[in-house]
Amino acid sequence: MTEGSRSRPAVLAALALSALAPLALLLLASVGRDWFFPAPWPPAMTLESWGDAFRGGGRMAAALGTSLVLAVGTGLAGAAVGWPIGRALADLSGWARHLGASAAFLPVAAPPVALATGLHLSALTAGVAGTTGGVFLSHLVPATGYAALYFLGVFTLFDRRVEDEARTLGAGPRTVLWRVTMPMMRRQLGEAFLLGFLVSWAQVATTLVIGGGRVRTLPLEVFAYLQAGQDRYAATGALLLVIPALLMLGAVRFAVARAEATPL
Amino acid sequence: MAAKKIPHFVRDDTMTQVSGKLVNLRPAQPSRLAWATLALGLALGCRPAARTTAAELARLPWDSVLARAKGTTVVWRMWRGDPSINAFVDQWVAPRVKERHGITLSAVEGQGPEIVNQLVVEREARAPGSADLVWINGETFGNLRQEGLLDGPWAGSLPNARFVDSVSPIIRRDFEQDPAGYESPWGQVQFTLIYDSARTPDPPRTVAALASWILTHPGRFTHDQQFTGTTFLMTVFYALGGGVRNYQGGFDSLRYATGSAQVFHWLERHRAAFWRGGETYPPGVAELHRLFANREVDFSMSYNQNEALTKARQGVLPATARPLLLQDGTIANTHFVGIPFNAAHIAGAMVLANFLLSPEAQLEKQKPEVWADGTVLARNRLPPEWAARFARLSLDPRALASDSLAKYARPEVSPRYRERLSADWRARVRRVGQ
Amino acid sequence: MTRSSRRGLLAALAVALPVLVGVGYSVLASVGLTGPGAAGGGSARLVAVLGEPVVWAGLAWSLWVAAASTALAAAGAVAVAALFRRGAGIDRMARLFAVLPLPIPHLAAAVAGLLLLGQSGLLARLLASLGLLADPGGMPALVYDRAGLGLILTLAWKEFAFLALVAFSVVATRGERLEEVARTLGAKPAAVFRRVTWPLLWRGILPAVVAAFVFVASTYEATAVLAPSDPLALPLLTLERYTDADLSRRGDAFALALLGMTVSLLAVAAHEWARSHWDRFEP
Repeated sequence: MTEGSRSRPAVLAALALSALAPLALLLLASVGRDWFFPAPWPPAMTLESWGDAFRGGGRMAAALGTSLVLAVGTGLAGAAVGWPIGRALADLSGWARHLGASAAFLPVAAPPVALATGLHLSALTAGVAGTTGGVFLSHLVPATGYAALYFLGVFTLFDRRVEDEARTLGAGPRTVLWRVTMPMMRRQLGEAFLLGFLVSWAQVATTLVIGGGRVRTLPLEVFAYLQAGQDRYAATGALLLVIPALLMLGAVRFAVARAEATPL
Repeated sequence: MAAKKIPHFVRDDTMTQVSGKLVNLRPAQPSRLAWATLALGLALGCRPAARTTAAELARLPWDSVLARAKGTTVVWRMWRGDPSINAFVDQWVAPRVKERHGITLSAVEGQGPEIVNQLVVEREARAPGSADLVWINGETFGNLRQEGLLDGPWAGSLPNARFVDSVSPIIRRDFEQDPAGYESPWGQVQFTLIYDSARTPDPPRTVAALASWILTHPGRFTHDQQFTGTTFLMTVFYALGGGVRNYQGGFDSLRYATGSAQVFHWLERHRAAFWRGGETYPPGVAELHRLFANREVDFSMSYNQNEALTKARQGVLPATARPLLLQDGTIANTHFVGIPFNAAHIAGAMVLANFLLSPEAQLEKQKPEVWADGTVLARNRLPPEWAARFARLSLDPRALASDSLAKYARPEVSPRYRERLSADWRARVRRVGQ
Repeated sequence: MTRSSRRGLLAALAVALPVLVGVGYSVLASVGLTGPGAAGGGSARLVAVLGEPVVWAGLAWSLWVAAASTALAAAGAVAVAALFRRGAGIDRMARLFAVLPLPIPHLAAAVAGLLLLGQSGLLARLLASLGLLADPGGMPALVYDRAGLGLILTLAWKEFAFLALVAFSVVATRGERLEEVARTLGAKPAAVFRRVTWPLLWRGILPAVVAAFVFVASTYEATAVLAPSDPLALPLLTLERYTDADLSRRGDAFALALLGMTVSLLAVAAHEWARSHWDRFEP
């Protein structure tokens, strides 16, 4: 598209603005005091909400820690469980494949009320409601659904001949998996991890219902502050949500890029 | 309304009349169909062990309750959206109940309908309770009682209950419902409008004056879609219907029909002068505060007489924001704490509820810089030194004087009025543009 | 069916089990057999809920928002992927900025959208400081507006990052080689784009577009922050009923949840059908 070349710098600038402006706005909102219309710039600044977030076992800092543990755990487990499911579904055909794909799709398509109620009943029955473990499992269900669908796509296009070749050369199934398939799939594994991480990172309804209010994650804090009109606190929480997620995106990209060339 | 739920009930001595609703006091049987749901591949887990009920504990000497409470963790489900309330609970109440009674307080998120839904699902799964104390009132209390989800009676047995103002109709009743010992009061609030004294130096002080103000200032007034907005509509409902007295004594559908017709007629006449021409309304009161602070509208409102000043101090509202009483009367209510039927640590919950009623906690909570929540204690019942401290409580000079608050305070009527008004209002505004 | 694929299928079903419990519960609750305020069996509730005009208005509004925001996001993603598909520095930077909003939760995005686009938001304040606006009422309504413009823009911004990521990976894995072949065969750049890059891109991102559409149609967080009260979006109406003060109306929420799920499943089925239809013509 050579005709587009001249517009490239302008589009780049627009992309940069669209990515960074909302973050800058949140940063201002998190420190701005008495910042009302029509002031384009906060007349006074305070670090109160940031201080409250971290001082003396601050609620937001604790919630951030819980969110991180849950999201990393969900990302890892989601990729680990989603991989064999996606691979199996890719190998299947006919009704079995449709059934499996629908099962993987169900957690993705179920509306929050139905999903949360089902997970809540299950967690109560299993005796894990109100615990971090129960919330982890409840995040894992949708995360596994996404990861399974993702790997279904990946393995549908996967060229099995490489594995067959390794097997002909005498490698056992475990060696094939660890030495041949997984190294080829570094980028996909990284993306599946990120997918699970982000699914968990953004959960509100499931955490609230299954955690019964006892498991406090950062999105719950942001939601509570937003409902109370505490914009400064909500913006602080929103930024705390954005920063680790961006760092995680960067870390995964970096780890994958070290192993292979990626589109990014 | 009358037909609702009746097929489920057999009229017998376990039924009572709460605000015109038939209420079954016997805990409902878990539905067999809930079991069928669980049978979708799930093995059944824990069953609650035999437990001492709150009513049994209430008959024991207080020392024995204190002994049972020691060392327990009490989970208190409450609204967690306000930093000042959170600070009071986490940094003032929690260390004191820990130090004095060996109770670990864990305050968790959840309010109103969430509390009811949570308990319904817990009962269906026969799971142990996830909360020991819940912050409730009004329709939530009514719903919990209707579903048999509260334990009790216990509230009258608390040592500090003797200080409670049991004369005030606003504290003695919860939206006309008799708490009957199933919930213990811990705070009192009153509805006010909020205005900006710099922008509107001479605000309207009656519903009629507000109406003409709205017409002469098109686009500068609205209310939210939730509880606070409905409370505003209830204020208009009282004012146009000749006062709260006409609606007391349980829900009356005929009176509701007449009164609500007046409210909707009033709204229809003013709607075009509402913010955005009355086509859309802010989702909650927080959004209304934001519109007010940013000069999109000139009034906000609150179901706490001190919120205007608290929020101004926090920088959420302009420094010139002030509370405003409507002289037709504004609604006041009391909020309570209750113990769910499946609470694990009833003794601990009772000790906490008792601490919340202590003069010390009530005084702290009422300080303007802490939370400014009204006390439920009667000054003439307190020991003289505490009565003096309450009297000395330095009130913010910009706050509404307690005698004018009391003068214009009107009790809530049956929650059914509010329920219907809110539902009918939604149905009406959503017809716009269809 | 091999042993490992049988195990995979069973694992998929096991993961779906809690969701099936939820769907089963929703079915029971929507016919009044369980849940808060359950008052006996029968399809009366389902019939009553599906007969309410607000339900269909809410569904139509949610579908409008989902379609508009997904279309905007998809168009942007395809354009950016086509424009910045090479390996130069500017391409890498553009791709980075395009996917940067990906990890930002919808809730945070909605807060930013509100603070930016509201009638007293930053945009309005900038206009005011330029003397173009005297009072917030003069700013066009972009939040709580009946067309849902602010919500559409916010969601499109979020979905754009996701679709751009997918589009970049489609171009990177399959694009270059095919374009190379086309060029060697003497195709002009415009023809390469029209005949190779474009079909590849849009077919490659279609599953992601359907996923984004389904997600947006049922998303709650951003909708709660930015949507108008009339018409009330289906996810908001569902939650409103779920928390209704009148216990007997809470069962409605489960009927509405089933309606939402039916729409999602229909969208996916349509996609599957279309795909199997086209795949027959794949070389």
